[in-house]
Amino acid sequence: MARNKNATGVSMRSNNESSVLHSHEDMAVEQLSDEILAAQVARGESHALETLYDRYASTVLGISVKIMGDQAAAEDVLQETFWRVWQSAASFQSQRGSFTGWLFRIARNLAIDAYRRRKIRPRPITDVDDSDSKIDQTPDPNIDVAEQSQLLLNHKQVLSALATLPRVQRQVIEMAYYYGMTRQEIAEATGEALGTIHTRARLALQKLRAELQRDESKD
Amino acid sequence: MDLRQIEELLPFYALDALNDEEKELVEAYLKEHPEARQQIEEMGSAVSALPYAVPPVDPSPHSKEALMKRIAADQRAASTTRNQPSRPRGLRFENLFSAFSLGAAVIAILWVIVLNGQVTRLRNEISALNNALVAQSNELEQINTKLSQATPSAVITVSLKGTDVQPQAQGQLIADPSSQSAVLVIVGLTPLEAGKTYQVWLIQGETPVSAGLLKVDANGQGVLVVSSETPIGSFDALGISVEPEQGSLQPTGDIVVLSAL
Repeated sequence: MARNKNATGVSMRSNNESSVLHSHEDMAVEQLSDEILAAQVARGESHALETLYDRYASTVLGISVKIMGDQAAAEDVLQETFWRVWQSAASFQSQRGSFTGWLFRIARNLAIDAYRRRKIRPRPITDVDDSDSKIDQTPDPNIDVAEQSQLLLNHKQVLSALATLPRVQRQVIEMAYYYGMTRQEIAEATGEALGTIHTRARLALQKLRAELQRDESKD
Repeated sequence: MDLRQIEELLPFYALDALNDEEKELVEAYLKEHPEARQQIEEMGSAVSALPYAVPPVDPSPHSKEALMKRIAADQRAASTTRNQPSRPRGLRFENLFSAFSLGAAVIAILWVIVLNGQVTRLRNEISALNNALVAQSNELEQINTKLSQATPSAVITVSLKGTDVQPQAQGQLIADPSSQSAVLVIVGLTPLEAGKTYQVWLIQGETPVSAGLLKVDANGQGVLVVSSETPIGSFDALGISVEPEQGSLQPTGDIVVLSAL
């Protein structure tokens, strides 16, 4: 998977790949880019979905656990996320964004909806350490160790970039992205003026981007 | 919302944390100001990293197994749908018979489902009608009781019943036989299609005389003050028939109520 993505998980492949799908059919499915696999899923090829699942299930589950704070419920969101991918892969347009962006948006929205229905309070990022997330479970033996290592590396890089943000800026990002809170809700929850929340969000995203780019150039 | 306020929404647009109305405002703004797309893309690249900020969690094998089973079932269903219309023409008799049997079974099941639905719907309608009828009968009883207490003894009430055409119809004619008017209360009549009306007839011997057009509400209930040039007591019967909406000189449609006075 490292071949497909930079440290932030953003696909680096050309969007023209979909036009050469058929020339890739003989390639090992594990070597195909996300976008090509998504096109195969749209054609009803379940092995392509399985490959995407193996690549991203742990990240999707991580997002869901983060938002919902409950692994059993998060596993339901995981299944539903890939079921949605199976059903609506044809609507994915690679020219409008990466597959992972699309996939994680589905997962996040499903998890936030499920969380709102269950009203379970999630925990902030800083309360969750890596060992804590490995809840008693039997890992899937089919998970690709190399891909999982890359995901873990991405995780460490993004986490260290986030750590450079002032706490109040990081808080706004977390509330908006992971908890699906509106800017008004964030202002109310933090007791800050709406204008302050706007400024913090903008500065946080600018700084986060700069940090990630710096990490990337070091690599 | 002015432009500065919309620009303040951009980070939240990138974070996908706006409500629908705000999102529409930003999208309209981006159409007008394509240069702002650059900002969105830059902020979006930071947002796209956020999923990796949470530690990956290994899913249990059961999750994948359940998902793939669901997908396999979906593929089988899709495959069945695709294959059905394109069967080869040279099917063996047994295959043809199997296909026919399967088709018949599916049709039978669908038919049973449809019938069940209709039966349930009709039962509900009958139950609702019965309830309405009971309620209206009770109301009539109460009206009669009150009238018998409030009116002079000369006033009589005559029960009216529906014919075989509308056996559920029933009512009362409240009248002083020596007067030339009476009150007709009727329930349980079927509301009529446009262009039709009920017409009330007072019948003397075999001669019907129109006593007015009767309108009923959606529940089949109607009240009419019946007028006549001769005393009500001079008539032998009362009837109600279905007529064109302007009424008729003589009954021409179905007689739905007919009772002796």
